[in-house]
Amino acid sequence: MENELRNAIRELFANQGVGVAIGYGRVGVDGAVGAVFVTSPDDVDQLVWNNECRQNLAVHLTRPEVKALGKIAIVCKPCDARAVVVLANEAQIKREDLVVVGVVCEGIRNVKPDGSTSDKDYPKCETCVQHVPANVDVVIGETSKGEALDAKNAEVATTAGHQAKLAKLRAMSAEERFQYWRDEFSRCVRCYACRQSCPLCYCNRCVADKNRPARIDTSASLKGNFAWNILRAFHLAGRCVGCGACASACPAGIELDLLNLTLANAAKEHFGFVAGTEVGAAPLIGTYDRDDKEEFIR
Amino acid sequence: MAKIGVFTCWCGENIARNVDVQAVSEAISKLPGVACSENYKYMCSEPGQTLIADKIKELGLTGVVVASCSPHMHLKTFRKTVELAGVNPYLVEMANIREQCSWVHNDKPVATAKAIELIGMAVAKVRRNAALEPIKVPVTKRALVIGAGVAGIQAALDLAAGGVEVILVEREPSVGGKMAGLSETFPTLDCSQCILTPRMVEVGQHPNIKLMTYSEVEKVDGYVGNFKVTVRKKARYVDITKCTGCGSCWNACPKKGKIPNSFDYGLGNRGAIYIPFPQAVPARPTIDADNCIRIQNMAKGKELCGICSKQCAAQAINFHDQDELVEFDVGAIVVATGYKLYSIGKEQENPNIKGYGEYGYGKYKDVVDSLQFERIISASGPTGGEPKRPSDGATPKTIVFIQCTGSRDNAKGITYCSKICCMYTAKHTMLFKHKVHDGTAHVFYMDIRSGGKMYDEFVRRAIEQDGAQYHRGRVSKIEKVTVDGQTKYRCYGADTLAGTPCVVDADMVVLACAMVPSTGVKSLAQKLSVGYNEYGFLSESHPKLRPVETNAAGVFVCGACQGPKDIPETVAQASAAAGKALIMLSQPFLTREPEIATVDEKLCAACGACVKACPYKAISIEEIRDRKGNLVKMTSRVNPGLCMGCGTCVAVCPSKSVDLIGFTDDQVYAQIESLLD
Repeated sequence: MENELRNAIRELFANQGVGVAIGYGRVGVDGAVGAVFVTSPDDVDQLVWNNECRQNLAVHLTRPEVKALGKIAIVCKPCDARAVVVLANEAQIKREDLVVVGVVCEGIRNVKPDGSTSDKDYPKCETCVQHVPANVDVVIGETSKGEALDAKNAEVATTAGHQAKLAKLRAMSAEERFQYWRDEFSRCVRCYACRQSCPLCYCNRCVADKNRPARIDTSASLKGNFAWNILRAFHLAGRCVGCGACASACPAGIELDLLNLTLANAAKEHFGFVAGTEVGAAPLIGTYDRDDKEEFIR
Repeated sequence: MAKIGVFTCWCGENIARNVDVQAVSEAISKLPGVACSENYKYMCSEPGQTLIADKIKELGLTGVVVASCSPHMHLKTFRKTVELAGVNPYLVEMANIREQCSWVHNDKPVATAKAIELIGMAVAKVRRNAALEPIKVPVTKRALVIGAGVAGIQAALDLAAGGVEVILVEREPSVGGKMAGLSETFPTLDCSQCILTPRMVEVGQHPNIKLMTYSEVEKVDGYVGNFKVTVRKKARYVDITKCTGCGSCWNACPKKGKIPNSFDYGLGNRGAIYIPFPQAVPARPTIDADNCIRIQNMAKGKELCGICSKQCAAQAINFHDQDELVEFDVGAIVVATGYKLYSIGKEQENPNIKGYGEYGYGKYKDVVDSLQFERIISASGPTGGEPKRPSDGATPKTIVFIQCTGSRDNAKGITYCSKICCMYTAKHTMLFKHKVHDGTAHVFYMDIRSGGKMYDEFVRRAIEQDGAQYHRGRVSKIEKVTVDGQTKYRCYGADTLAGTPCVVDADMVVLACAMVPSTGVKSLAQKLSVGYNEYGFLSESHPKLRPVETNAAGVFVCGACQGPKDIPETVAQASAAAGKALIMLSQPFLTREPEIATVDEKLCAACGACVKACPYKAISIEEIRDRKGNLVKMTSRVNPGLCMGCGTCVAVCPSKSVDLIGFTDDQVYAQIESLLD
């Protein structure tokens, strides 16, 4: 599959005028997998594909320095490909200027505390139902694990996974749940790795970095941590595609993906909306509509 | 260095009763930046305003807080005061310590403490206020009037007389509306058509009025003074500029007399090519495509009939006519879409409203509604003004009139009084008696509401001179019975004044149905951003002081689309709406409040959240290019002409790159923080 991927990228360099291919490579000091930016067909062999490719590479699509490298080809797991759809829907990228190489993914392995790869699935992959990428230009690999998650089957397909993952939170009373998040957020050091790793946190200047007025407390206090994490979750409501990049990047191990999933699940339950499955979808929140079912909006 | 003057008002004892104004003044004087803290019995009075102006001049104040009533009451007053004293009017803030404090609390120490906090918030805000200039926008000196019933006709004529070009849009083939179909009008019994038709002719001929019949408003964009309106001219299949109105076509139509005429509410018939009534303006026919033999068969590739076209010497008929969209720029819009009668049958548009199945309307031909009865006794009606009942054409000797059918009936879902039914029912009884001298009119009523000049006298005349039998009570059921071989409608009623049941065998029953807004008014209101109530009546800006304005600037309402009304009131309101529109259109330019949204284009990520959330379509995504034309970045941008300053964009912007001038986040957070200190 790795060879299939490399051949496909070479082909794109040759025939589609691609200037840079964003993919996974062994870039860490100890051979850890991270993002590589291949600008020449000669370097394509740097690309790897295995069950350690955790990052969501779509985060690089909005960076001006990457855009400056020319036409982009990007390697996307099925979850990451949904982020590309959202980015295009939100006018951050021009989809036609981009080649999305979707890779079939049967789950990414977790990392042990010592940095080595565990034989267990990464938590968000445990209940994942999307193994075949949708809305991509090329699909690499095959699987028997089901169909691509597109607008048609998204609603049904994601339900079971959500329920399983949220079961833990739902079993708690409101007080227990609050205490749970209190404990989680108390570990936050406000490094903003969650924001930096998230493809949908693309604002030129984050509201957390604005100080006139200071809308949230920037100190790593419990109050400021609550404000930051809840604010980020709200900004991702109806947008988060559940790639888990934030939780993966969090040095404190806060289960940020659960927080986002709660809102994603609400979006689905109440509005039948699954982010990143429909090309051209209007944002779930904040679309003015004369026929809004809320009678008080006229 | 801020020098804020704070002026606390007693409002007589409205505020002073529950707020210790003196204590408030003293507490506020200690706040940082407050240069003076005064109180006075009536700050809005001339001495009160003089006090403010004097302090501005004496101390060189940089901002003013008036702690008094709601800004809705007096913000304009105080802005004017400080402007005359040489300070930018937008450097005034009001702290509402009346509606939001003294009126809602009765514990004086608590209310006093709250007043201090409210004023403290206003001080915190005004320190961050900026001097602003009103936005000036140009005005298109043209008006759109929607609906050409008596309200629209009056408004159009007044606007045209004021020298403004008017586009009068009517969805029916003729102007005239409901009034053109009425028989005589209360309280003078003058003929409705005789008084209306001269006005109809005038709108048809006025050089300043562009009449568009058989047309509907499709789309409204833009803003006050600068609306862009798209009107759909429905396919009429007759070129009214060629047509001479000779009548050869409608007399030759093979379907003549076979299709129910909606102008007669289905009591009379017309052809497939028709004019709705003889005095129609324009007196040009329309082809009803659904019933035209030629047009219905064209789709099948057959060329049938076409007799009207052969008869037409002017060659005005075009069977291939299409709807046409026409665009206009207008500065003001007057809505005069009128009413219809509530549907008595079971089927209702509004799920909260129920019909009167027990009255047999629709089942019994001789149970008619009041507009149908108008046609029956109208000289231009299907019976030529002879009272004949629809089932067998017999002259009715006994007619039962049931008032408040629908109106004021919580059980059926309409709570309001339709206002005109008492009067027209009295008129109906008189007209009936004048035509059938040995006839008897029975009226079942809840109350007689006849307020108005010569109105009660009119009802008394119906009862005392024309012998109408009034029974105070409701009818529970109507049953068709045969008495001595004759069909009768037995009305089971009550006479609550006598305390007895009251059963009347009638030859005919007339239901005075509730007035409801005409079909489609809600979608029109949405196009215009005008509010409406649960029944669809359009909302005026203020029920007493701004009765013809709406909350959508530049859009005015008149007539029954705003609420049930009789003709005199409708005409008065139409003139009022025209007057208000003329005032607006007579300005060289309009000033708009500068409190609108603004985008920090450097920081905007152009995600488009604001674009999709904006109810006024005031935001668009634009490119920023450098001098060489290279794209620097994309950004959202607010059109100051369209923005209404609602702040929705500020709420949805994830990076807070959009702000509302006059209500910036900086100001609002300062207010909140002043509470937390």
